[in-house]
Amino acid sequence: MTPLDALLALSLVTLLLTLSCRHQVWCGVLTTLLYGVQLMALLFMSTSIHYGVPVPSGVHFNVLGFEMHWAMTPLAWFFALITLGAAVASSWYASTSWGRHYAATGGSPGLLQVALACNVVSMLLLLCSADLLGLFISWELVSWASFLLMASAGGAAVRHALHYLVYAVAGGMAVLAGIALVYVATGSLSFDAFVASLSGLSAGRLWLLLLLFGGGFAVKMGLLPLHLWQARAYADTPGPGSAFLGAISSRMGLFGILLVLVQLAGLARFAGLVLPLTPFTALDLLAWVAAFTIILPTFTALRQTDARRLLAWHGIGQGGYMLLGVVMGDALGSAGGLMHVFNHATYQAALFFSVSAVVYRTGTSDLDQLGGLVTRMPISFTAMLIGIIGLAGLPPMNGFVSKWLIYQSLIREGHPLLFIAAVIGTLGTILSVYKLIHNMFLGQLRVEHEHIREAPWSMTLPMILLSAVVFATGYLPGLVLRWIAPVQRELGLPVLDYTLGGYQSTAGSLDMIWVVTSMLGGFAIGAVLFYAGGRARRVHQLDNYAGGHFLDAATRYQYSYNFYPALTRLAAPLYRDSFQWLESALVSMLQLASAGAQGIYRSVHPSLYLLAAAVIAWLVWGGGH
Amino acid sequence: MNAPVLMFALPLLTAFLLPVIDRLSGLAGRWIGPLVLVGNLLLGALAWPHLQDAPLVLAMGGFRPPLGIVFYVDRMAMLFAMGVALGVLLLWPAWAQDKDRVRISTLTMVLVTATTGLALSGDLFNLFVCYELAAISSYGLAAAGGSAAAGAATLRYMVISSFGSALMLIGIALVYQATGTLNLAQLAVLSDALAGPQGLIAFIFILLGAGVKAELFPVNAWVPEVYGAAAQRVAGILAGIVSKLALLIIVRLLVLVFRQPEAQQILLVLGVLGVITGELAAWRAQDLTRMLACSSIGQLGVMFVAFSIPGPAGVFAGLAVALHHMLVKPALFLLAERWGGALTRLPGAAQKSPLAAACFVLLALSLVGIPPLPGFWAKFLVVTAALGQGTPAYAGAVAVILAAAVIEASYLARVAAHLYRRVTQPLSANRQTRAAVTVATCASAALVSATLWLAPLGNSLQVTAAQAADRDSYIHNVFPQGVQP
Repeated sequence: MTPLDALLALSLVTLLLTLSCRHQVWCGVLTTLLYGVQLMALLFMSTSIHYGVPVPSGVHFNVLGFEMHWAMTPLAWFFALITLGAAVASSWYASTSWGRHYAATGGSPGLLQVALACNVVSMLLLLCSADLLGLFISWELVSWASFLLMASAGGAAVRHALHYLVYAVAGGMAVLAGIALVYVATGSLSFDAFVASLSGLSAGRLWLLLLLFGGGFAVKMGLLPLHLWQARAYADTPGPGSAFLGAISSRMGLFGILLVLVQLAGLARFAGLVLPLTPFTALDLLAWVAAFTIILPTFTALRQTDARRLLAWHGIGQGGYMLLGVVMGDALGSAGGLMHVFNHATYQAALFFSVSAVVYRTGTSDLDQLGGLVTRMPISFTAMLIGIIGLAGLPPMNGFVSKWLIYQSLIREGHPLLFIAAVIGTLGTILSVYKLIHNMFLGQLRVEHEHIREAPWSMTLPMILLSAVVFATGYLPGLVLRWIAPVQRELGLPVLDYTLGGYQSTAGSLDMIWVVTSMLGGFAIGAVLFYAGGRARRVHQLDNYAGGHFLDAATRYQYSYNFYPALTRLAAPLYRDSFQWLESALVSMLQLASAGAQGIYRSVHPSLYLLAAAVIAWLVWGGGH
Repeated sequence: MNAPVLMFALPLLTAFLLPVIDRLSGLAGRWIGPLVLVGNLLLGALAWPHLQDAPLVLAMGGFRPPLGIVFYVDRMAMLFAMGVALGVLLLWPAWAQDKDRVRISTLTMVLVTATTGLALSGDLFNLFVCYELAAISSYGLAAAGGSAAAGAATLRYMVISSFGSALMLIGIALVYQATGTLNLAQLAVLSDALAGPQGLIAFIFILLGAGVKAELFPVNAWVPEVYGAAAQRVAGILAGIVSKLALLIIVRLLVLVFRQPEAQQILLVLGVLGVITGELAAWRAQDLTRMLACSSIGQLGVMFVAFSIPGPAGVFAGLAVALHHMLVKPALFLLAERWGGALTRLPGAAQKSPLAAACFVLLALSLVGIPPLPGFWAKFLVVTAALGQGTPAYAGAVAVILAAAVIEASYLARVAAHLYRRVTQPLSANRQTRAAVTVATCASAALVSATLWLAPLGNSLQVTAAQAADRDSYIHNVFPQGVQP
């Protein structure tokens, strides 16, 4: 029994235990502990992984002539670390107070935990697949496990989950088609056979494989134009579930792309693949898909009026950064892209937790119905502040480091337009996260929220921990970069020369220890001046005046409705929901075809006439002879 | 080793004696049919080891082929004969309608006789007789519910089916005119005589004729109406079992007699059209029974596509899909007995019958082809076999099958969402019958165990397919001393 077998067995045991004691109040606590044990088992492999030695599984099957086996590679380990970390945090968050509250409002926390356990098992299986068949099987399992998690809330969430499912199954079928093509060409589904089959392929075949695999994996990642399902489906998942999905679920698509297109096929192959009749290569296409995935969803996030939707739309946009970094194929960019997976998971989960805490206390995540909660929920506010700094990619949080690496790479590799696209995305992010924190925590407190308290510890502790990670890995990015180096090596990419504070290379370097220390030093001086010099008087939050008039609590002097109207007006003509339109046009066409098909089966006459005509024609013709 | 003949003869005898037996003892009348089916299963199990190496060729009354009636019992035939016995046993229609039990049991036994004959017969004449017998008994069963809708639907079905039979007879006559024989092995020897346009026309006629029962597009328009109006058990038998046996005729003919590529192309095109129309119609269906009926058309389309692929790979894939569908669809139809009607009546059903709902979801997942359930492997075999042909037509068929899986997932997941929607008011959904839950659980357990023992099952099925696709050995087995011209 290898360490990997132990991990997978533990994961399966977690699922079975969760299933059998889902009605108990301590179920969440138990699962949290079990995820913790799994995380330990994973860390137990870290030495081997650090030296780039995969941990194999002792289990293998031979089914219908297909060999199936599993192994934990550095790439898989990195993603598994994030998966289990997100699972611990989400399960913890859901375990006691939140779970009771959820049950009281008609939800089933046990079902949520079961769905979470399903997700973790299937994701671990996916990450450890060492052949295309195992990859596809666990890919489908991940899709359906996500569906279970999304649909577990019932109501409107089910509608969005069904919407997701159509995309997910379509993506799965594209991957299946790609795998079948490989199988027909090589007679095997091992990774080696796949790599061997690629060398003799015509450009057309290569494009087909790229579209099938890339398109299939892109669905889960929410790359444009396959992103429409994601925001609604993630946002309507109950609190901790949406944190888990937002943190890691959609990154499984990136994992697929990394494994199949980067590691097995190799980016160089696509750099030589020219789009017919254009000067663009397949790699350019990927990069621009990533760039548009950054810009459009980010500006859609800006227009959202619901905090969870806003975060979910950002989740799509941040995926674009990851792909953009990886597609650059150099040490800086790929390290940035990979690191952003980790960073995004940490701050996104913290942000979803913070929003869920507000929902837990106020019952709403509508940005037009909140405000001024900073003094009522200071821990949630701090978690959100740290989270949005990370999301916006500003120092001293970890999001800055990964984005900085990607910017550096874009400039070095000579892609100024892509660089501008990435910066535009960041600008949109900053604007939109300001709207988020302002409308929830700053500004005027609503009267009905006056007696609100901070969320309980079972919810704030995971937030605090995640925020600490967001800061710590921003201060000492080397902690994450040392996990990324073996991944880069495994993917066949150049390896970043990392240091504890950043990276060191001939062309440039980054030392976050220095950056953050000087920044904090500046803040400290400012704080000293503020507290030493200024005279401040504390007043009640509802005791306000504006324009020389006292305001009573019922007068809204600060608006959250229709935020950034000028910007929205400016951007609207550039993007008229064309993807929505495209999708509904396709659905309408399908409905038309479906109505036609139903027409065939509504009456029996067509069959009858056909048969009768055939018989009579034969009798006439045969009788004539 | 004449046990397979008994599998045909016993149900026939029972069918004739059943009214008398029931008059003597109601208890015996109730149980004789299921008992005979159990006997059939035992006979099949006893005969199975003898089929490992070579098929059995049984000449009735000692008249050697090509003169007499011949049963050709290979593994594929035996598999379907046992499938008939098992399927009908689980869905035994008389259990749902005790009032009419004698009539229904008799008709069911006739149907079992006919379908077993379809599986085992080695000549076209016998196949036609069995096909007609199956048709007539299925009219009776479909109308047995006694409702006006069932009567009207059955009447239309009867008219279509009669025209189909006429076409099939003309096709057989054409074959006889060209070759002078109806024995399949001798036809295989003389297949060159059918390579021309006359042979193709004969094939098309037989295809359309048998296609009425096999739910072949475009002669399948009766399907949703009859399945919707007839008792769900009968619908399950028609969709799950009779359709597969009608398909078997086409497979035998394709392998042995009609080997021109045009024949395969026609089957491919009609199969693809069946997938498209069936799944699209099911997508919009607002009624569970109708949805299942249309989905069954789509699944049969996949089987036609599979069997249109020349060689053992195609037969293997087709057999896998057919057996899988034979297991899943009857159980789903049985669940629709109580859950039929508008989908909007389903919410709360999972609260009332949690086990049945879980089984429905499992069966539906396998039907869509979600790994690692058997439905996925069946579909995977079809996809790889079709892509292995390397022609654009087959690649297009694969694209259609995969797209159809998306549509299928969409509507079946919608049903599952309805089933699991929680409601607090008095529930409109019906509680499942114990019989339906039992059968659905058995089918689900079979699916799960098939997943666990996939490797031996797959190998065994592969051998079966290779045997069925081997034309030379068919000829050799029937004429061990060589062919007398």
